[in-house]
Amino acid sequence: MSATNGKSITLSSKLQDIDFGTKASVPGWLRQLRCEGRERFNQMGIPSVKDEEWKYTNVTPLAERQFHFPMEFALKEKALLKHYLNPQETNIVLVNGVYSEEFSNVKNLVKGLTVTNLTVQADNAQLKKLINLFPSTYPDVFAALNNALLQEGIFIQIDDATVVQKVIHVVHVANPTNHDTIIVPRTLISIGKSAQVDILESHVGFSSGAYFANALTDILIKENAAAHYCKAQAESKGAYHIGSTRIWQKRDSNLETFSLTVGGTLTRNNLNIILEEPGTTTFLHGLYTMKEEQHVDNHTCVEHRAPNCTSNQLYKGILDQHSRAVFNGKIIVSREAQQTNSYQLNKNLMLGSDCRIDTKPQLEIFADDVKCTHGATIGQLNEDEIFYLKSRNIPQDLAVRILARGFVDDILNRLPNQSICEKLNQLLSSAIDVLK
Amino acid sequence: MTKTTQQDELTQREYKYGFVTDIETEQFPKGLNEEIIRLLSERKKEPAWMLEWRLKAYRHWTTMKEPHWANIHYDPIDYQAVTYYSAPKKGKDKAQSLEEVDQELLKTFERLGIPLSEQKRLTGVAVDAVFDSVSVATTHQSELAKLGIIFCSMSEAISHHPELVKKYMGSVVPYSDNFFATLNSAVFSDGSFCYIPKSVRCPLELSTYFRINAADSGQFERTLIVAEDDSYVSYLEGCTAPMRERNQLHAAVVELIALNNAEIKYSTVQNWYSGDKEGRGGIYNFVTKRGKCVGVNSKISWTQVEAGAAITWKYPSVILQGDHSVGKFYSVALTNNRMQADTGTKMIHIGKNTKSTIISKGISTDHSNNNYRGLVKILPSADGARNFSQCDSMLVGNNCSANTFPYIEVRNTTAVMEHEASTSKISAEQLFYLRSRGLDLEGAVSLIINGFCKEVFKELPLEFSVEAVRLLEMKLEGSVG
Repeated sequence: MSATNGKSITLSSKLQDIDFGTKASVPGWLRQLRCEGRERFNQMGIPSVKDEEWKYTNVTPLAERQFHFPMEFALKEKALLKHYLNPQETNIVLVNGVYSEEFSNVKNLVKGLTVTNLTVQADNAQLKKLINLFPSTYPDVFAALNNALLQEGIFIQIDDATVVQKVIHVVHVANPTNHDTIIVPRTLISIGKSAQVDILESHVGFSSGAYFANALTDILIKENAAAHYCKAQAESKGAYHIGSTRIWQKRDSNLETFSLTVGGTLTRNNLNIILEEPGTTTFLHGLYTMKEEQHVDNHTCVEHRAPNCTSNQLYKGILDQHSRAVFNGKIIVSREAQQTNSYQLNKNLMLGSDCRIDTKPQLEIFADDVKCTHGATIGQLNEDEIFYLKSRNIPQDLAVRILARGFVDDILNRLPNQSICEKLNQLLSSAIDVLK
Repeated sequence: MTKTTQQDELTQREYKYGFVTDIETEQFPKGLNEEIIRLLSERKKEPAWMLEWRLKAYRHWTTMKEPHWANIHYDPIDYQAVTYYSAPKKGKDKAQSLEEVDQELLKTFERLGIPLSEQKRLTGVAVDAVFDSVSVATTHQSELAKLGIIFCSMSEAISHHPELVKKYMGSVVPYSDNFFATLNSAVFSDGSFCYIPKSVRCPLELSTYFRINAADSGQFERTLIVAEDDSYVSYLEGCTAPMRERNQLHAAVVELIALNNAEIKYSTVQNWYSGDKEGRGGIYNFVTKRGKCVGVNSKISWTQVEAGAAITWKYPSVILQGDHSVGKFYSVALTNNRMQADTGTKMIHIGKNTKSTIISKGISTDHSNNNYRGLVKILPSADGARNFSQCDSMLVGNNCSANTFPYIEVRNTTAVMEHEASTSKISAEQLFYLRSRGLDLEGAVSLIINGFCKEVFKELPLEFSVEAVRLLEMKLEGSVG
């Protein structure tokens, strides 16, 4: 790791081949991946607001900054993290992008579940298939950047017919000591046929400094598997978080995703789901609570490529003070995907004085036997409801919190796993309890 | 009946306005340059300021690039291969009475179902008929003049009411607005002008009928409607063109201005020739329509039935500047064969307590492509703004596509906005229900489609509403089952 010490990059200029340590230890596939990622990144460059996908989120300020690779991998604020982890669960902790033996407990895993460091994997067929699930030419410049800068990653494999009872909790802790650090978390998950699993991936930050987390998670859900995948983002105040989650669903698989965003100064979540084979079911839920000058941008894209698939999407947001939210949901139904049911809804609550919301629910439909709907609402709390509570001797700020709670509970309560639900509530309370 | 006549009848039914009027015309040479614009301005005996304005637009246009963000595909347009002016030769000056109008022309409009002779007129509709580049007749002018309403062709307005034209033209769609509007500003040949004075409620439906006849010509008309304080006007627009193998360009601009408490209702039934089954020919319809609610409590509503044109690129918009102003958009867009439509609206909320409603229905059949693209923008000044949008699409057949691209930008925390959209097909249950009650397949489909579009049709003036229903039925014939 020490090879990158003191090294830095600027995103506006072309990426060079970075020496990530001794070349001999790097497996061939990784070297190729980095190379392809670098080429793709240099080819695409940092998008501007003229790019339709980045119309409402300006990342050009990021481009000029000089980002350093992390120098230290020890955590000082241990108590905060310990409070967040449940020792009963399978915890996988990475500090500043590097696997931490101290906080993780991956020993005595159930049979059929393996957790390994991605980058020490040898060139095997299984991995090759997974890593090329989404080709390096995929039109996502930050995914390409992640490929180019990949140093360590987590590889979770769940074998066929394995039921994993305990929640798998992947925690990416950012606690950089120097300013403007870049962290590239990478997770690869393969869920076998008829397997069942609950996964929570948290991005948390315990410092107030500015850093840039460029996360990428790829998930393959095989035939008849059932997966719950949650992404919780509670980065520190000055953080930039640009993350992509790409999911590939096979025949008759079930997926429920949840995305929570409370932290960071600028967040972009890309969630791309490809329904490749018939009979799949997908739920996409999301929640964001923003305050001060925070900016969140949720981009979802559900691609129906096969018949008889259902996708159901609900994203809710609370905006306070001067915050900004962007929602762009895309549903693509290809010609083969008959009997598709696809729903999408984005609801926003504006509590601040000058919030801004840009929402763009989008349908692109090429098959005729479909039922697709989308909707978006933007509004305020109902004055009558506040009056009702106040007339019962509940002060204004508490009334607002109760109603805001009601607004988010509707979606939070859909989470099937109690333990994950509690964790998300823990992260959320810091945002809800300050509403007035 | 012989086979050919049967076939003829079928094609006739597909597009019954596809005939060509054999009339002597005066045409400018093909191509566009400053000379052509000078010639056009001279031919129309325009004042110097108008020519200046045209040239300014032309010079700006030469610096612009054709936009390609819409989800439509077509071969590049050669703007130098278009005839920018074509007019019937007889009576170079506009006819003073109907007797002076060429009989061929009258017959043409008669065949289109637009009788220009005032005795046979539809009750309560005044018509301005535009044939290729010029207005050939405007009915009921004297009756309207008694009320102080000015309803005439744009050329007349430029020479008779220059102060009004100067004041309002370009105030909503500036000459530099977009590629097609700028082209129009440079070469617009005619169109309608309509001015409703203070506190006048226009007793007639005003209407313009556009007809493209000449081959390889483009039609570039410009319409301007001004409604003074407390006035009301309802305006209709219809369009047809002959069936030709080559694509023809239509780039129009419509500007509406509503002052305090004024209301403008603008309805369109667009039935340009849409090309044949293989997508040959048809009109390229690139239109900029925009209304501005300048005054308080003003109201503008757009109602459109888009059933023709090979390509439709049209976003009738409302700028809600006055406090408490209201903007409405009702649209039915039907595409069949290989038509492509990218249409929708823009609602820009600037004033306080402004309201907007969007109802859009898209029906897509055969190999066509139907897109809704809309923008709702609520600016920080628009306290208490309210928007409701609904856009539904219906797919008939497996080779068409329907897309929705709604952009919603809210920058005021007191705004309330709702948007909903759906895409579906006619369900088997609905069809079964109707057929089990004795309706044939086409009757059942037509009934369901009518129900689907009802919210929009009821906004149309009565005669147009009937016409729109028939138009839809005719277009859907043969595409179901």
